[in-house]
Amino acid sequence: MLKLKLFVQESWLLLASSFFFGLLIAVTNAALSGKIEQNKTAKLNELTRTLLPDAAIFQPVQAEIEVTLPDGTKEAARIFEALSADKQRIGWSFMAHGSGFSGDIELVMAADKDFQKLRGYNVLVSSETPGFGDQMKNDYYRNQFVNAPTEPLTLSKTGNPAAVDSQIVAITGATVTSTAVVNLVNTFVVQIKDQMTKKGLIGNVSQQR
Amino acid sequence: MSASNDSLSSPYSAALFTGLWKENPTFRLLIGLCPPLAVTTAVKPALTMGLSVIFVLVCSNIVVSLMRNLIKPHVRIIMFTVTIATFVTICDMFLKAYTPKMSEMLGAYVPLIIVNCLIIFRAEACASKSGMVISILDGIGMGTGFTLALCTLAGIRELLATGHVFDIQVMPKAFVPWLAFQMPVGAFVTLGLILGLITALTRKKGA
Amino acid sequence: MDTFVALLMGFLSVVLVNNFVFTKFLGTCPYLGVSGHLDKALGMGLAVTFVTALSGTLTWMVDAWVLTPLHLEITRYICYIVIIAGAVQLVEMYVRRFFPALYEAFGIFLPLISTNCVVLGICLFLDVWGTNNLLEAVVLSTGTGMGFTVAICIMAGIREELMLSDVPEALKGAPITLITAGILTMAFMGFAGMIK
Repeated sequence: MLKLKLFVQESWLLLASSFFFGLLIAVTNAALSGKIEQNKTAKLNELTRTLLPDAAIFQPVQAEIEVTLPDGTKEAARIFEALSADKQRIGWSFMAHGSGFSGDIELVMAADKDFQKLRGYNVLVSSETPGFGDQMKNDYYRNQFVNAPTEPLTLSKTGNPAAVDSQIVAITGATVTSTAVVNLVNTFVVQIKDQMTKKGLIGNVSQQR
Repeated sequence: MSASNDSLSSPYSAALFTGLWKENPTFRLLIGLCPPLAVTTAVKPALTMGLSVIFVLVCSNIVVSLMRNLIKPHVRIIMFTVTIATFVTICDMFLKAYTPKMSEMLGAYVPLIIVNCLIIFRAEACASKSGMVISILDGIGMGTGFTLALCTLAGIRELLATGHVFDIQVMPKAFVPWLAFQMPVGAFVTLGLILGLITALTRKKGA
Repeated sequence: MDTFVALLMGFLSVVLVNNFVFTKFLGTCPYLGVSGHLDKALGMGLAVTFVTALSGTLTWMVDAWVLTPLHLEITRYICYIVIIAGAVQLVEMYVRRFFPALYEAFGIFLPLISTNCVVLGICLFLDVWGTNNLLEAVVLSTGTGMGFTVAICIMAGIREELMLSDVPEALKGAPITLITAGILTMAFMGFAGMIK
């Protein structure tokens, strides 16, 4: 009993203020959490919308599609179906990630409605060296992926970056980053395309060709 | 605040102004050096960080000053840190809600304000000994001094690394960006040279 | 075997490639304030390593097994700082009881570890990096502490030499230390990209 009294004496302020602080945080959280969530989805939508300017709604794809990463682990892909204002499918968007020169790179990518051509990518997360690997955010490199076919892409040191083909010209001084982007695009695009065709999501298209 | 400068006779203005230059936390006291080095690649994040620090510093100074007669000495450090952590959490949520871009850029450096020596040092040295008004003024003064230091560093680094300041082109087009200043080395060297300059200037004045 | 290699790579990555002091500026206060004594720096580094290992692991467990299932992520920072303070207290009592000489040598530094950015930094970055198993968390937090030890030992060694060298008057003390640190980060940049 004495011990309890001592304990309370020593720490009542800590306990009381913890209660007060908890209350304070709870109030702030209640006031702001909605807005924070909204910001997160808004950012993703905004980045995707620059790739698919006509899209109005992004609907998550329910079918389970698994991607095997280069290190052997499997994970569920996050794919969205992009619909125009009158509910017509105009494309697909999906997340892709992999390791770059320093730390992970996370991209949001888009493909056309038949998954035949890419619509480019936007960088969600990266910590590449400013001025070198960081150039993967520049249009010079990004535009090479726009309209590129959805088959394995190859990286070359020289070539015409303006040509629309499966060959990507590397960023000078940032070969590792260039390779990383091409590899992670290949990993995700090819597997997602394969499995979506198998699941019948884009199946009828190949027969039409 | 025992600083009794002759020109700043009133304790209130003394509390407000010492932090700006005489005891500038970054340039003179060399405490809380982590943000001045880490977030000063551009002026915008530096300014955001500075304002967050002012907010946390003033709030924690108020609370600590209110509790100063109740705190038992051996639990005081944990009391201070819990107080600071609370306000940092609130500040973090505000940043996430209203400037999501900045919040993302600053990343883990916002929660790291909790262990910024500056805030706990002010709680210990000023707020736990003085009244509310002095504590608030001290928080504003120290925080502003910190923000100014941050912005100075960020201004120099952004100018040299990109030719922009506050995202506005300042240098002529022909300027070749000095990318090293955006890397860690730029942070250390810029701060080192500024400190050297300050020593040189103050020494001359004293002589 | 694969997991072993992955863990070894992760360990090397936090010690050399992503050294907290050189790439994230965490723990610069003790790094610049460390005296020019190699043995003291080593002792300090080891104490920090112990605390980072302990608190990194503990916070990971609390985060993964308590806070996330209960959706209490908003109280994360407060929980982290309380755990760290507890871990430091534990280390302090342990050292005082079993190594009184070391305790005397550390003096004020030991309680101050709780406000060392490295310690809270690793707890936060474990979350940012998306560490998803306990073993990884243990290895990464130990490695971070080791990285800090490496950094302050190098710095202490250099400062021992600096005391005898002819530094311009205005740059004596902190400025030259910062510039040295800048050059050291360039050296450590050589490790970047070695581990993917």
